[in-house]
Amino acid sequence: MANKVNHEGIMLFEQPFVKVPYENYKKIFRTQQKNVEKDFNAIQSSSNDLVSKARQGNLESEDALKALDGMIGRVENLKRKLNDLHEQSGKPTQDVIRERLHHLATVESLQNSNQPEFSRWADTRLDRWLVDWCLRNGKESSARSIAKEKGIETLVDISLFSDIRRIEDAFARHSCTEALSWCSENKTALRKVKSTLEFDLRMQEYIELLRARKTMEALAYSRKHLLSWTDTHAGQIRQLSGLLAFTPDTAFGTYKRLYDPSRWNQLAKSFRLAIYNLNTLSTEPLLHLALYAGLVALKLPICFERPATNVDCPVCDGESGTSSRPLGLGKLAEEVPYSHHANSTIVCRISGKIMDEDNMPMAFPHGDVYSREALEEMAARDNGRVTCPRTKNSCHFSDLKKVFVS
Amino acid sequence: MMDASLKELTKLEKVTAPDSKGSSITVTLDSLLQTLRETKERFIRGDCTEQQLVDLVRTIETKKKEIEERQKEVYTILARLGKALDKKFPTSLPSYSDLFSSPASVEALERTIALHLLRTGQFEVAETFLKESSVIIQDDLRSQFVNLHHILKALRNQDITPALQWAQDNREFLKSRSSSLEFYLHRSQYMRLLLRSHPPDTRPAIEYANVNFRPFYEEHKTEFGRLMACIMYLPLSKLQNSSFKDLASPTLHFDLEPLFAKEYCARLGMSRQLPLRVVGDIGGGGALARIEKGRKVMGDRKMEWDQMTELPIEIPLPPENRYHSIFACLVSKEQSTESNPPMMMICGHVISKDSLQKLNKAGGYAIQMPILSSRDTNWCGSPYLSVIFHFFGSSPLRKPVVQLTFFKHFSKKFCTCIPYYCTHGPVYN
Repeated sequence: MANKVNHEGIMLFEQPFVKVPYENYKKIFRTQQKNVEKDFNAIQSSSNDLVSKARQGNLESEDALKALDGMIGRVENLKRKLNDLHEQSGKPTQDVIRERLHHLATVESLQNSNQPEFSRWADTRLDRWLVDWCLRNGKESSARSIAKEKGIETLVDISLFSDIRRIEDAFARHSCTEALSWCSENKTALRKVKSTLEFDLRMQEYIELLRARKTMEALAYSRKHLLSWTDTHAGQIRQLSGLLAFTPDTAFGTYKRLYDPSRWNQLAKSFRLAIYNLNTLSTEPLLHLALYAGLVALKLPICFERPATNVDCPVCDGESGTSSRPLGLGKLAEEVPYSHHANSTIVCRISGKIMDEDNMPMAFPHGDVYSREALEEMAARDNGRVTCPRTKNSCHFSDLKKVFVS
Repeated sequence: MMDASLKELTKLEKVTAPDSKGSSITVTLDSLLQTLRETKERFIRGDCTEQQLVDLVRTIETKKKEIEERQKEVYTILARLGKALDKKFPTSLPSYSDLFSSPASVEALERTIALHLLRTGQFEVAETFLKESSVIIQDDLRSQFVNLHHILKALRNQDITPALQWAQDNREFLKSRSSSLEFYLHRSQYMRLLLRSHPPDTRPAIEYANVNFRPFYEEHKTEFGRLMACIMYLPLSKLQNSSFKDLASPTLHFDLEPLFAKEYCARLGMSRQLPLRVVGDIGGGGALARIEKGRKVMGDRKMEWDQMTELPIEIPLPPENRYHSIFACLVSKEQSTESNPPMMMICGHVISKDSLQKLNKAGGYAIQMPILSSRDTNWCGSPYLSVIFHFFGSSPLRKPVVQLTFFKHFSKKFCTCIPYYCTHGPVYN
């Protein structure tokens, strides 16, 4: 164990790190395909048109030139679009993937966590987690500020979260338009994970129409956007038809719930889950997961005794030394289970070293235990006498007793 | 390794580059444009036949196919890259719903992050963060960190004055921690003076030592001697090849920064390492992976997992992250508590109080104790005990077992209760 770098444990956290830009690139690729398809369809149809007109013998040279100019314009435009797409999105995204893979390759090449390179890598990782945490908690300026200060813009996903924010702001204004256009951009992917987000959004738009008592429009909307979901959402659609009979004031039971404005919060939550899911982002901030596991590994009943027993212990949370209740990580630790230890570890209070067979624990007659090495050193300084630093009881080294804990 | 993914990525970069050799999409579009322009010119000249228009339709068709082929190639590589990534990162992160989401927890985490930013000297970021969160950090604590970074910056610029001032103001505190900070600051300055001039002029350094080193003589006799003796090995080139080369090393000065930060934070009652880094490194360095393995083993009983008060598995920790003594009873495997403290028997073995009482009742003054090293046995042969060796024939462990038989009046006076050592953190630097 000691200080060997645990690569498996580290990589567990990094799936989203490489998957986010990968998914992003796939999206860019799809946009490219769509552009090609659209423009080629157009020029194909106008070239076919030319041929058929020529065959019928009514091809005016002026029209033909116009059509050809149109086609040339389209192809030039397509070429520019594809080029821009590559320069502005495709290439940068490839660079991001490369940089992130290199970043992970760096830590894979390290074997010992005491190496300064590892420490630097872990510093960056913590910065990445902090950015992720800030982004997920609506602290975008902080996120940007950390990313800029540390020069890790390519290692964090600020633009993805800006997108999320844009759409969530729209929810706050009670608008589904932005979210629906996101849904159509990601149609295939959403279908693959069987997301019903789009239905929920459509449903909300329908409800809003009824809230505004635009009954005719609501009916038209339902025919256009809701009926296609009948196979999977028949029950809900029936309910929504029933909603026509109620206004927000007269609704009761299920119908009242449909009019409940808190549905907007629910929508925002479902949207987040969907976009996290598509980008293989974890539902919890990475920092939470790391802190959870770290605190579980460290937490002991003794950490909650006051005054804090060891300021170096992150769970003891001895911040400013005087506070009676934990304010920082100790507070978070209250939420996690205690660590489990089947074997004893006895830390010497004088030297801080862990006692073992080569550095046995020795007990004073009154019961306090310290490491042999530390006590021997003390005895050498004081003509064989040893003094307990806690109680100031003193005795001769030969009065100490070996202790066996395992 | 990342090699497989990187290889696919390189291929992807190659096929998508606009200036890639052969048939990039740009080349195809250019050639299509040329055909279109030629057709246009023919129309202007008035010699465009119907057949040429049919050819144009066909060319467009071919070009479209060419581009589609190209895209198919990109698609295949993308899929392969995806597979390589899936292979390298097979498991998605677990979900712990509503973790640290209570207002109190959010506040605690915000506070921790704010202090982390201040402590690492990111003052501008910290300001932004404090504006975006509800946490309040007292001004005097903030200015403490500003002061810390002011001193550290001076140290980086080879100016020990502010650091020395602080060390002198806090001399008693440093002494109680037996910290050598002040001496090391002087040592750094002394070596700098010594190595500053060419050819070596030792007078300023010796004068400096004369004024500043005396109070430290008692505690640093050896180092004191070395600092004086190294003068004989000047100039620098010679010193670097002597047994005093550590004194010529730049780390002598660089190490002051972390040392100073450590003492300064200790003075504020703060840990020597960054708490977020420590906990994050443990969590992100294997602990979560181990917990997940445990959760998988528990399988359907996931609910139980979420509600347990103690983890059923042990997560190994490196020695520097062992902050407390832990006593796990050899007999019951339980961790000691205040009401169930470790008890030392006259032979030196320590087991928990509960275990001791249970064994005492059930075994009629006889305690069987598995032992791990033969060294223990010598010790167990005290006059109070008769020691009988035997081996568990059927035990897969084949551990030697010592049977300890106590005198009938075995009682508290034969065992010493030692409830202290596991309830106090280590007192060390």
